[in-house]
Amino acid sequence: MVDFSNHPEMKGFFAPTRFEADVYDCEVIGKIPSDLNGAFVRLGGDWLYPPKFEDDSPFSMDGYINLFRFKNGIVDYKGRWVKTPRFKADFAARKQLFGKYRNPFTDDPSVHNLDRSVQNTTPLCFAGKLFTLKEDSLPYEIDPKTLETIGPYDFHGKYKSLTFTAHPKVDPVTGEMICYGYEATGLESRDVFLYTIDKTGHVKREVRFQVPYVAMVHDIGLTQKHVIIPIFGFVSSMERLKEGKVHWGWDNTKPSCVAIVPRDGEAKDIRWFKGPSRATVHTLNARTEGEKVILEAAIYDGNPFPFFPPIDGSPWDPTKARAYIRRNTFNLASKDDGFTEEKLFEMNVSDLGRVDDRYLSLPYRYAFTAFADKQRPFAEWKAGNMGGRVNNCYGRFDLSTGKMSSYFAGDTHSLQEVCFVPRKNGAEGDGYVIGVASNYAEMRSELIIADAQHLEDGDVARVILPFRATAQVHGRWMDEDELPFA
Amino acid sequence: MLTRRDFVAQIAAAAAGVTALSAAPGAAAFAKVVESVPARRGAVVSFHMDRPYVDPTGTAMPYYPPSGTRSAAAAAELSEEAFRRMQCYA
Repeated sequence: MVDFSNHPEMKGFFAPTRFEADVYDCEVIGKIPSDLNGAFVRLGGDWLYPPKFEDDSPFSMDGYINLFRFKNGIVDYKGRWVKTPRFKADFAARKQLFGKYRNPFTDDPSVHNLDRSVQNTTPLCFAGKLFTLKEDSLPYEIDPKTLETIGPYDFHGKYKSLTFTAHPKVDPVTGEMICYGYEATGLESRDVFLYTIDKTGHVKREVRFQVPYVAMVHDIGLTQKHVIIPIFGFVSSMERLKEGKVHWGWDNTKPSCVAIVPRDGEAKDIRWFKGPSRATVHTLNARTEGEKVILEAAIYDGNPFPFFPPIDGSPWDPTKARAYIRRNTFNLASKDDGFTEEKLFEMNVSDLGRVDDRYLSLPYRYAFTAFADKQRPFAEWKAGNMGGRVNNCYGRFDLSTGKMSSYFAGDTHSLQEVCFVPRKNGAEGDGYVIGVASNYAEMRSELIIADAQHLEDGDVARVILPFRATAQVHGRWMDEDELPFA
Repeated sequence: MLTRRDFVAQIAAAAAGVTALSAAPGAAAFAKVVESVPARRGAVVSFHMDRPYVDPTGTAMPYYPPSGTRSAAAAAELSEEAFRRMQCYA
């Protein structure tokens, strides 16, 4: 029997949805821009069955892929579970067989040695294929027409890491994908395998190295010359797994360590830098200027995730779980291992930021992300008391002027991760800001589409779903000509 | 939609009707029904959709909207830690 009653956080809008869906010809408020043809593909998680342990991480939720298919001003919606061996085993048993996040020691013995990955982090379109990504396993290939799961993918047998990042970077100049796996040779290994894969999907280069300590390596920065690999205080050990804990704990004593890897170099060419304790979970963009390598990201002061608690037993500190857009500069000409840090905007923002991907690895001007504007109204009497916990705006942050313009989603809405869709042949930042809003008054999800150059004018269209879409971790726009969508 | 003014007007009309009925045949049975209604109490603070207001009749029941609306209310009682444990990217 399925029972979520022990989970007070899974109520109302936040309850699991647990169904697959097709909506043909969605209701639209406004007018879908005629130049938006392709699909907005979202990946996130939902609980098919309740977690075995109350203190498990939401990152253990079963993967759920969904897309909004745009064609000639019409939008269709489709949502499907990502049917991994883990999903199939739970489905057949009608219960949760798997234990805590990335800890196989907490699993039911019946699923020993089964692929325990849930594919719930990032959708990827590369070399004419659609994938789901989760950093503890290989990518899973998905049929773009049906969203049915095909299976794990190893790039013609040449990708040797056991894991694949949720944040590969595609170089807009060469079309190559720079990607990696950490804990590459197994649980708790310090091995990182860094790859360059050509635009046809064939492995071109591999560099193997080790990180100073086993740590989360969730995202990287890419320049035309370097790969920037930040690691920070999320630590793990075989001992903690055998004690039945979630994979990661937070070690406040660990400095941020950042590897600068020349794209044409080897492991011996890596330069390590150290900085204050921070959490660089997601990056915005990076570039190389002479001897300086520059990374910009919305970086947390400390641990953003209470489900990965401090290892010293101290309480999780919500005041450190704030992200600010910062610039880290690594001087390759320096003799020491320090780097500089600047806070570019004083306001607290979502760390799920995006840029115009045509400018990835290159000099750029605009970053986009969500934030909570406390000056905007929130209608508690219609939506419920969220205690101020709503990202009610998307912002366009101009890194050259320090100015910000914003889109407001409404007084009963909260916005999930933003996505930027460039207008064909447009300049940087010319295009659309899209993303899913949770409408707490109507108990439904709405895909908003706004003109990125006129955010203050509000949305140009909203696609209305008659239900709550699963919470998104990451979403990506994929053009009509990139994949054979239905 | 029933306005506050219409509501007060209808209550007054109903009260007049009750007075007339009490003089009619069967008034004794009706009087028993009227006696069973709780007596008017002093003004109390009540709630309409979580917003407090002074109810001078002392009889108003709090109004809560049907499920499906105000769906973020489930998060109201959660601490920041409990909220972010499950909704770190909500």
